[in-house]
Amino acid sequence: MKNLKFGMFALLIGMFASCDSHDDACHECHIAYIVDNVEIAEVEIGEFCGSALEEVEGPDYTHELTEDVTVQGLDGNDVTVPAGVYNEIHCEDHGHDDHDH
Amino acid sequence: MHKLLISIILLVVNFKLLSQCNGLILDYNGNPIANVEIFIADLNLTIENNDQGEFTLDNDIPKNGLIHFYKHGYASKMIKYNSENKLLIKLDKLHVTIDEIGVSDTYNKLGDKKYVNIEKKSISPSLIENNTLLENITELNGVDMISSGNGIQKIVVRGLSGLRVVTYLNGMQINNQQWANDHGIGFSEIGLDEVELIKGSSALKYGSEAIGGLIYFKDQPFIKKNKPTGFLSTKFNANNHSNNSQFGTRLNIGEIFINLYAQNLIAGDYQMPDKTYLFNSRFKQNALKLSMSYKHKNLHTVLRYHLHNELTGIPGHVCVGDPKLQSLSELSYSKDFINFEENYNKKIPYQDIENQLYILESNYFLGSIHFNLLAGHYRNNLIEYGEKWTSPDFDMNLNNTLIHPNVKFSLEKYNFEFGSQINYLENINNVQNRLIPDANSLNIGPYAIFNYDNNNFGYNLGYRYDYKNLVSLDNTVTSDKKVFNTDYANNFQSSSMSSGMFYKLNDHISRVSYSEAYRAPHFSELFSNGVHHGTNRYEIGDENLSIEKSKQIDIKYQWSNDHFGVIVNPFLQNINNFISVVPTDSIYTEEDVNGNIITSYTVYNYIQYDNVTISGIEMNLHYHPHILHNLHFEQSLSLLKTQNNNDENGLSMTPANGINTKSSYEFDHSLMSIKKISLSHMYKFKQSSFSEYEEMTNSYSIISLGFGGQLNNKFNYYFMITNLLNKKYTPHTSRLRGVGENGVPNPGRSFGLNLNYEF
Repeated sequence: MKNLKFGMFALLIGMFASCDSHDDACHECHIAYIVDNVEIAEVEIGEFCGSALEEVEGPDYTHELTEDVTVQGLDGNDVTVPAGVYNEIHCEDHGHDDHDH
Repeated sequence: MHKLLISIILLVVNFKLLSQCNGLILDYNGNPIANVEIFIADLNLTIENNDQGEFTLDNDIPKNGLIHFYKHGYASKMIKYNSENKLLIKLDKLHVTIDEIGVSDTYNKLGDKKYVNIEKKSISPSLIENNTLLENITELNGVDMISSGNGIQKIVVRGLSGLRVVTYLNGMQINNQQWANDHGIGFSEIGLDEVELIKGSSALKYGSEAIGGLIYFKDQPFIKKNKPTGFLSTKFNANNHSNNSQFGTRLNIGEIFINLYAQNLIAGDYQMPDKTYLFNSRFKQNALKLSMSYKHKNLHTVLRYHLHNELTGIPGHVCVGDPKLQSLSELSYSKDFINFEENYNKKIPYQDIENQLYILESNYFLGSIHFNLLAGHYRNNLIEYGEKWTSPDFDMNLNNTLIHPNVKFSLEKYNFEFGSQINYLENINNVQNRLIPDANSLNIGPYAIFNYDNNNFGYNLGYRYDYKNLVSLDNTVTSDKKVFNTDYANNFQSSSMSSGMFYKLNDHISRVSYSEAYRAPHFSELFSNGVHHGTNRYEIGDENLSIEKSKQIDIKYQWSNDHFGVIVNPFLQNINNFISVVPTDSIYTEEDVNGNIITSYTVYNYIQYDNVTISGIEMNLHYHPHILHNLHFEQSLSLLKTQNNNDENGLSMTPANGINTKSSYEFDHSLMSIKKISLSHMYKFKQSSFSEYEEMTNSYSIISLGFGGQLNNKFNYYFMITNLLNKKYTPHTSRLRGVGENGVPNPGRSFGLNLNYEF
């Protein structure tokens, strides 16, 4: 009986500790700078959470760069992203993103 | 008054004695055999005998109810219960086993293996020797897997999968959007005991749509013991840094029986042979399963509940351009150490899945007549996040309700079974975005099955008629301005049949079976219209699709003696109006405000081929030398050819021909606590028969090694090395074969340690 109680307790703890399906986390977002149908650079625009994240990911959201920004491109070379309005905002990690695990 | 009282007491005592039946189990030398598992099929209950070989059946077992006697190392036996006969059971020492049914009597839920090609595999004892449930099942000949690592796996039977391979769990059909290759099996492995498989279209009782096969998972039976039994187990795998922990217990309180199981599993990304990790091949699962059984007089009731949650990454996702041109370095990364904060967190794209299963089953016994009524409800909620954290690409509930009444009875050598399935399936979208619209179907399928068994000869005949009504009404405008304009109502009607015959002459057993079945188109095939991130494509259905019709002939021959056994199983299947999904020349694109293409997917259409043919042969050998009884050598050969008679190409995702070889040695007395050593080799031939839009896959060879034993009589362990030589390979049935120049490789060398404690 002791083993039974211990086993149930251990598994219940494990289950409650894992598999959180509701995403309340915050995520870093960036403008995906695309030239000739290829994304060549990313311009960070900050971390967003909750309703702000939902707004940034919405189909009508745009972000304005008021001046040119120079960043390191995805190929490692410097890229100057011109001032303007951009609507391609990414807040996810894809395989091609730089993720340093 | 005293006489009356004494009479009453005597009557009660007699009644108690009469309601108990004593039995004895011996070997053929007259020695008692202890610890034999005695499975009472109609009650789904297991008891054990004592050290003197004695057992008592103190339940009201239905007349002609099946009782199965099993102990490892002995030929199992099955009898029809008759309380008037003394229960003296003799079990023969077993030397050779082939697919667990070659030489032994076994109880099969799916029918009698004499007339129907049923294969069975134990799960609970052998799962300690495998990483996953489906890896275990693919050891059956003719069974393969579509997968991308261990997170997403689905079964392929003789080249067919998805909607054509119907899955049942404890009598309830599992519908979990299985039409797509990136959707797994829909439940956890916890509490499972056995799996039965019918290859091809002979599974009449469980639906006509299983034209590829029916796979039936059964939980561990209830148990009657003086105290609870159970286990604690945990599995570690170094390749994807995974841990799979489980707990299970079985107990009874009087005539109430309870089985309870729980599981927690986490896994990181898997490591490929070049030492990099495939991004987002991670997953998490947890599950809970509770089953209760109660018997009162002639009524036996079972209640089951299963909760299963998954968070599964979708690896190999390509947003823009042809996936074949994707560089593998863009989808993988290196790491020097485990980062617990990062390695298990969910990443886009991923699936968030919740499955709930409810079953209420009642059995009523009237003499030798067995009435059964099953009411089940399975709810699958699938949310797929393809690009955004806050806006899923689709969020669907697929609700399946099944009512299945059935009656069976025997008249001497004749067995009869009648029943019907009433199956209501409903797909509901919870958000505006969707890939398939709201839809529902109602299927009513009455059937009749007849068997004749005269020991060495028998035959079987079954007939089923199905009426299916399918409706969809959906005018949703999605967030990306796509309009679903579905207004569809149609009926599908057809009949199915199966027939089989067997003949036994000494140790030679031959069986031939012929079956016809049909499958109506599914919601996804009729109405799909949208991006499916999990498959890197834009999918479009066709409302004009019609019924698939299948005909199959299956022949099986088996022979064995004490040291050698062989099975030969050729088959031929012909399917008209075969539904498939094929790429077009069209590309679906989305652009940003500056006109740059930000997403692009090849458009795939659902179409119908006039006729396809599937043929092949499966062979099994088992040998162990006379001077080394503990050495087992098994080999299986699977040859499969699929032919699209429209264009002379093969069908997509057809597994390559293969040879599996396994050698194992069991020690009579453990050697440094090691009881068993196994070496297995899988060879897959080059796959040069493929569909118009596929490419050839090279041959490959995978070697795996394992050993296991007991540290004491309660604690078991198993250590294994999978892909010992760190071979780089991509199976033809890999979900990621079309990504990158040569496809994404399967996991490289993997070390696993499985521990199991029983109480």
